[in-house]
Amino acid sequence: MTEKETQSISPIEPGRLLVETDALRAAGWRIVQVLCIGTPEGAELTYSFGLGLELRSLRFTLPAADSLPSITPSYPAAFLYENEIRDLFGVKIERIQGDWDGRVYDVAEGKDGKKPFSKVTIKAISSEEGAAPSGGAR
Amino acid sequence: MSQAEQHDGQGDGASAAGASSVIPFGPQHPVLPEPLHFDLYLEDEKIVAAVPQIGYIHRGLELLVDKRDFMDYVHVAERICGICSFMHGMGYCEAVEGILGLAVPDRARWLRTFWCELERAHSHLMWIGLAADAFGFESLFQASWKARELILDVAEETTGGRVIYGSAIVGGVSRDPSDETLVRCMRALAPARKEIAALSRVMLDSPTVRHRLQGVGVITKEAAHRLGAVGPMLRASGVDYDARRRGYAAYGEIEFQTVVETAGDCMARAAVRVGEIEQSFAILDKVVAGIPGGPVVEQFKGMPPAGESFVRLEQPRGEVVYYVRSNGTRSMERFRVRTPTFANIPAMVEAMAGQSLADVPTIILTIDPCISCTER
Repeated sequence: MTEKETQSISPIEPGRLLVETDALRAAGWRIVQVLCIGTPEGAELTYSFGLGLELRSLRFTLPAADSLPSITPSYPAAFLYENEIRDLFGVKIERIQGDWDGRVYDVAEGKDGKKPFSKVTIKAISSEEGAAPSGGAR
Repeated sequence: MSQAEQHDGQGDGASAAGASSVIPFGPQHPVLPEPLHFDLYLEDEKIVAAVPQIGYIHRGLELLVDKRDFMDYVHVAERICGICSFMHGMGYCEAVEGILGLAVPDRARWLRTFWCELERAHSHLMWIGLAADAFGFESLFQASWKARELILDVAEETTGGRVIYGSAIVGGVSRDPSDETLVRCMRALAPARKEIAALSRVMLDSPTVRHRLQGVGVITKEAAHRLGAVGPMLRASGVDYDARRRGYAAYGEIEFQTVVETAGDCMARAAVRVGEIEQSFAILDKVVAGIPGGPVVEQFKGMPPAGESFVRLEQPRGEVVYYVRSNGTRSMERFRVRTPTFANIPAMVEAMAGQSLADVPTIILTIDPCISCTER
């Protein structure tokens, strides 16, 4: 009954995303998930695809100032992941087919312009406030 | 940019440009147990396009993981949803155990399987009730929820909780019902099994039900795969995929059948769920007959190592993906859940295109949406 499960995570350059996803689509892989982890510099993104019980992930880091092309031309179902990542992490994703224009989570927009899942460090806050980092609670 | 313009290009030929009217559906609607909104673009009575809107119950639970001790966070994970609560806790535990390299004792793995299948059975019964209520079959709604109560009684007997079991912990389980208790519980479920067999026949054979579900909201095998559908939504379209085949918990040691249908319509999705209830009881029988003795938890002390783990489980609504990353402190750096409803929304939107306005509630319900899971 049990089948063999394999998992792999391959680091790629952000510029290779569409090439890699097009190839996976052509080989019959389905989209499983898109994971975003906020970093002080921007975001780390992991796109996962499945074929049977095989799970293959593509990973890269994206500087905050850079934008990313949408993979919805290859994977239309990615529109929900991409909208969510943009709303919660502030990642700039261009030409999403099914663009909700920041309305997946209506509570997502902060007054200070920071997205709710943005990585905020004491060093960054201190730098913005022009003060030296101090100890205490986060 | 208007919503109609935004929606252009999404789905196969679904363009809102031909719509003559837009009807808001939800977020509060009699058939929706949780808030979900659609802008339905119509040409006469036919759906041209549907634009979903979520976000009404987003709680940011994933973000809480870096504020809590990793052993305690399982209680937060369990509260993602009130139907698959045990599986959410267990999925988080499996991911953390992967990072820790912790082997769960055999008895704990079998107990996890027991509670997983209880959840699957009562979730599908709840779905039958909600679907029956949506198309006006009140007695079927009452009968399925009555049978479900007996399963919740067993959950309470074995865990102390009817909704939140609180039994999944990192390294195993926190409750150890005796073998005699498990046998007694299965005996107590005998009346429920008879009732379920009867109401399953009504669900699958009644002309009233077939009239409402057959040929409605069809998703082809190709579309289900292309749109990343999971669970009964995927299997009803002829794709034989079930994450339980990974062999997690005790599924590697228990024979079970994956229920697959080919029509891809609402009726096929109902048939998959009805078949899975029967399979769940068959698995429960095997668990109770073969559960090994021994401890139910492997203790872990110290700091977790840095690392990451992906885990996939099969929830009642389909494959769920858990991701946990540890940075070597007592709090995990990131916890992510890709829930089955989240994965099924694109297929649901596609299923609505070309359908009658009157069939929208049925189509929404046949993906068995769980919005609490989806928004976390």
